[in-house]
Amino acid sequence: MTAKLRQAGWYRALAFTILGVAVCLGLSTGLRAAFDVTPVYDGESVLQISLLMVPLFFLGGIGCFDYWLRWASGRKVVDDHADHGAKSWRDYFKVNTDHKVIGIQYICVSFFFMFMGGLMAMIVRAELAAPGRQFIDPNTFNGAFSVHATLMIFLFVIPIFAGIANYVLPLMIGAPDMAFPRLNALSFWMLPVAGVMMMLSFLAPGGSFAAGWTAYAPLSVDAPIGQAFFTIAVQFAGASSIATALNFLVTIITMRAPGMTFFRMPLLVWANFSTSLLVVIATPFVAASQFMVLLDRALGFNFFNAAGGGDVLMYQHVFWFYSHPAVYIMMLPGFGIISEVIATRARKPIFGYRMMAFSLLAIVVLGFTVWAHHMFVSGMSNWIRIPMMVTTAIIAVPTGIKIFSWIATLWRGVLKMDTPMLWALGFISMFTVGGISGVMLAMVPLDIHVSDTYFIVAHIHYVLFGGSLFTIFAGIYFWFPKMTGRMFNERLGKIHFWLTFVFFNITFLPMHLIGVQGMPRRVSDYAEEFATWNAIISVASFVVGLSSLIFLYNMIVSWRSGPKAPSNPWNSLTIEWQVSSPPPIFNFDAIPSVVGGPYEYGVPGAVHAVLKDSTPEPVTAGAGSGAERSA
Amino acid sequence: MEAASVPSPAAHDDHDHGPPVANQSSRVNSEVLGMLLFIISEIMLFGAFFTAYFFIRVVSKDAWPPGDGLPVAIAAINTAILLSSSVTMHWTDVSAKRDNQLAMKVGIVTTFLLGLTFLFIQINEYLNIGFTPETSASASVFFGLTGLHGAHVVIGLLLLWMSTVRIFKGKVGPDHHRGLEVPGIYWHFVDAMWIVVFTTVYIL
Amino acid sequence: MTGETHRGAVTAKTWLALIVIMIIASVVGIVIVLLLPWFPEQGSTVAPKIDTFWDVLIVVSVPVFVAVTTMVLFSVWRWRQRPGEEDLDGPPIHGSTKLEVIWTIVPTVIIAALTTYAVILLVDIEAAPAKQTRVVQVNGAQFAWDFATPTDAGIVKSNRLYLPINEPVKFNIRSKDVIHSFWVPAFRLKVDAVPGITTSYAITPTKLGTFDIVCAELCGLGHAYMRQTVTVLSQARYQAVMAGIAKSSGVGAATLPGSST
Ligand code: HEA
Ligand code: HEA
Ligand code: CUA
Ligand SMILES: [Cu+2]
Repeated sequence: MTAKLRQAGWYRALAFTILGVAVCLGLSTGLRAAFDVTPVYDGESVLQISLLMVPLFFLGGIGCFDYWLRWASGRKVVDDHADHGAKSWRDYFKVNTDHKVIGIQYICVSFFFMFMGGLMAMIVRAELAAPGRQFIDPNTFNGAFSVHATLMIFLFVIPIFAGIANYVLPLMIGAPDMAFPRLNALSFWMLPVAGVMMMLSFLAPGGSFAAGWTAYAPLSVDAPIGQAFFTIAVQFAGASSIATALNFLVTIITMRAPGMTFFRMPLLVWANFSTSLLVVIATPFVAASQFMVLLDRALGFNFFNAAGGGDVLMYQHVFWFYSHPAVYIMMLPGFGIISEVIATRARKPIFGYRMMAFSLLAIVVLGFTVWAHHMFVSGMSNWIRIPMMVTTAIIAVPTGIKIFSWIATLWRGVLKMDTPMLWALGFISMFTVGGISGVMLAMVPLDIHVSDTYFIVAHIHYVLFGGSLFTIFAGIYFWFPKMTGRMFNERLGKIHFWLTFVFFNITFLPMHLIGVQGMPRRVSDYAEEFATWNAIISVASFVVGLSSLIFLYNMIVSWRSGPKAPSNPWNSLTIEWQVSSPPPIFNFDAIPSVVGGPYEYGVPGAVHAVLKDSTPEPVTAGAGSGAERSA
Repeated sequence: MEAASVPSPAAHDDHDHGPPVANQSSRVNSEVLGMLLFIISEIMLFGAFFTAYFFIRVVSKDAWPPGDGLPVAIAAINTAILLSSSVTMHWTDVSAKRDNQLAMKVGIVTTFLLGLTFLFIQINEYLNIGFTPETSASASVFFGLTGLHGAHVVIGLLLLWMSTVRIFKGKVGPDHHRGLEVPGIYWHFVDAMWIVVFTTVYIL
Repeated sequence: MTGETHRGAVTAKTWLALIVIMIIASVVGIVIVLLLPWFPEQGSTVAPKIDTFWDVLIVVSVPVFVAVTTMVLFSVWRWRQRPGEEDLDGPPIHGSTKLEVIWTIVPTVIIAALTTYAVILLVDIEAAPAKQTRVVQVNGAQFAWDFATPTDAGIVKSNRLYLPINEPVKFNIRSKDVIHSFWVPAFRLKVDAVPGITTSYAITPTKLGTFDIVCAELCGLGHAYMRQTVTVLSQARYQAVMAGIAKSSGVGAATLPGSST
């Protein structure tokens, strides 16, 4: 154990990191000397190279690459599962290959950055509480909302969905783990790297990156060095989500339990399948857009330099070709969670299961045809606007199918109004608001007026907070017993919901109004006429912030000393609930075999999957399953 | 309550047997599938740079080619070199399945060396091309696309290096050749992608 | 089993009640929302059209939201788990093609209608004004706009925009550095000022007075303070003012302090 610690772990990580900085310093000065650039030592060059390379040294030190390197060098590799499963809390701070451990790691890290991002939001709101300058200068303000959004998107919503799926998805499809456990570990460890990098940007000379989460060129090209932290951190966050997406796709395609046909998969699996497709296809575009900015910044390339023949709008096309799909990357997994919660808590089969699955795929396809709806006023060639308006508006149809199917699932059910269900129902109505404002934005003539106003900010938060975040809370409460083996405090959960629900609306509903009235977004100061509303909004937003502390308290205390959870507190049919809470280290003694749909509630004697009790040689699993399927 | 009719949960047991063997729910091998999906991602990455190429050359009509003419002849030779490396790569693969150790060794080494030559010629071209990324947007696109591809050649060579080591340690044979096959797929992709880069940048 | 009363299917009477509630709620909602002071004053021929479009969008949207929310609340009220129903399950209804078709078609129709309206409106508001328009050159820079207006006295440069009422004017918008966005909320139109290209739009002022010009695209430190004004004057006053500026500075020179030319 201690010997292992000396091999891979935090000490070695620290050592490698220091080594990395040294190497980068050498590299930078060396190269500059070679091409006789003066001065030979240049801080920014060293910093940028370090930002790119030091993380790799760190990851190597912490032990992400050990196994692969041993394999590559043709040495003998024995998988003794030493780095699989957590025996104490310490194991959560090490490289681990157990999808359950990685899932928890993902979730905790994501929430950490959610609170950091939220703190930024609090700063933003405090500054906006009154017109004029309160206590931070415009540059810090721009930094605050840029970091706020970037953390919330790249370090919270996207990864936490990956984390939840990481934990439950393999269990749901009856797989012992993900397809590539070590890649899975690497994906996780790239996250803290990206997040820490983004927060460190505040220490950079000239302040943190302050060009918004959209980092439009040429502003981001001329910006001080802080911008490089965004440019490069996004590379790591992006790499992380691509790796995870590959992992999910391969796991879902090749590791489903016998009998788990595609149309017997729980909708959460379908949702993550669709999301992963989006990630694999779209994410390289954001990577590329930031590479180009980096090249323009660091090596004087001319991609976005109009004077040099560059094309400024090209940045927006490349960026939004990722970032529109990204908004569905931030919503589809939530749709999956809601389907699980509603079916189980309403005790009814999902209404129109197949349409639910197909509408996900429809959104994936349509998602790639609408990016320019973020560019209606960008000065791009006019003809693009109308086709993009049509495709954008059409997305309301598949999404509507989902909303209505959920309602039909509630219809005549037996609704257990507990915390996960409250969040799920709150989601349905709040996301509808955000979706409708989205459809309004799709209407070019209106968007021309409201684009880049607080109306957009309102839309953003109704879909991302009322949408994504509500589903995240629903999911966290729903699977908390499975993940921790303990029950959370129901009363605190309900208080958390009602406080958040009410003050979320007081915070973001008025933004529609001040937006249309003419208050632009991304401003640290505004016209007198908006003072009253902004004051109200700020106060409400602090309550939202504080309410999230109730959640934090509930989670921590319940995890440490909540009542023990049974294996299946919600009487769910899906597989993850048929194993103990928390599940055994290798999930199953033998691979279960699936004999029916996942949501057959109300069907007398319905069974989704049959779990075999301990059988030493799992080979029988395959054989036995054949029988069950024919049965 | 129907959920009750589900067999009681498998008892939590910590006695150390490994995980149950996962059910193979698809004929496709997982490593190969993983690599193919990764290649889709890679294609999109190039796609983004081709978008830049399109906007800068076609939309905002920056003068193309950058500088005064690109060394098409050299690039063509280089293309031939890279393509032949694909052939030798395939040969290596075949010999692996036939368990012909010698042919495997020869094949992988030639493939590696051909790739290396390509890289050297490319770098040499950069040094004598007569313009830099600062020159113009077209120049940036030129260096962007060829550079991106060059980076992929480097990655490909790293993967080939692993296979080489494993082959020379006799770790590759008919029944365990994923460590060769998967890098092979990637290498073929790098070559195929070069054809596209070559035609769009040098010929069109 | 308890609750035979509330577990049955929804009767026609209940449906009627539900629909009535939805209609009332929608009407109330629409009225309240429409009463809100949404838009700044209408300063151009475009403004009334956009505002009407908005009203239509509200009239369509509120019922959608009301429908969704009412259904959810009704389900909760009618079918929430009562004591003694802990082990009860709902009926195993797996779907209904009829319903699914309906709720695919209805939104499609709504969307089709709205989109058609939007396209017609877009073409209308961007239709080139009939008579010969005055072209004002708008230059964005960190962090101020400046304007070059052709007059009988020649090109008048200023960092304050003057426009004659009821006369179509076209803005040709350029940027010296990063992206800005030229927005006059009272006119309802905006477009980005993009380095390297010239963007433009045309409007016809219909209201005398002074209106805000707001930069609507994050352009750096001073973005929040990149606010100026446009003054719409009667033809006569306009000619006078322009002539005045021209004289006071010599045509083509910068005028008011702070002008960035
Ligand atoms: C989770 C994230 C998420 C989601 C799901 C969405 C969903 C949608 N978004 Fe949103 N959007 C963002 C996140 C998201 N958006 C963000 C972050 C930005 C700002 C980026 C920035 O500039 O910083 C943005 C900006 C944005 C713009 C650009 C505005 C501008 O900058 O000028 C537009 C314009 O078309 C738009 C449209 C839509 C539409 C049509 C949907 C649709 O998918 C919504 C579909 C859903 C419904 C419509 C509701 C349910 C449907 C029914 C109940 C059926 C009946 C309904 C009708 C018939 C209307 N969004
Ligand atoms: C998932 C995404 C997400 C989430 C959850 C949030 C949550 C919040 N957002 Fe965010 N926001 C975005 C995504 C998100 N936002 C995006 C994409 C933008 C666009 C940025 C851009 O223009 O580039 C944006 C922009 C944005 C703006 C506009 C900035 C501007 O244009 O000038 C504002 C202003 O009010 C805002 C406010 C808030 C608030 C008050 C919350 C709150 O709900 C946060 C509540 C949570 C907490 C506060 C948790 C932390 C709590 C503590 C740390 C305890 C301490 C509490 C106190 C001190 C009271 N956001
Ligand atoms: Cu100029 Cu914002
Ligand atoms: Cu979008």
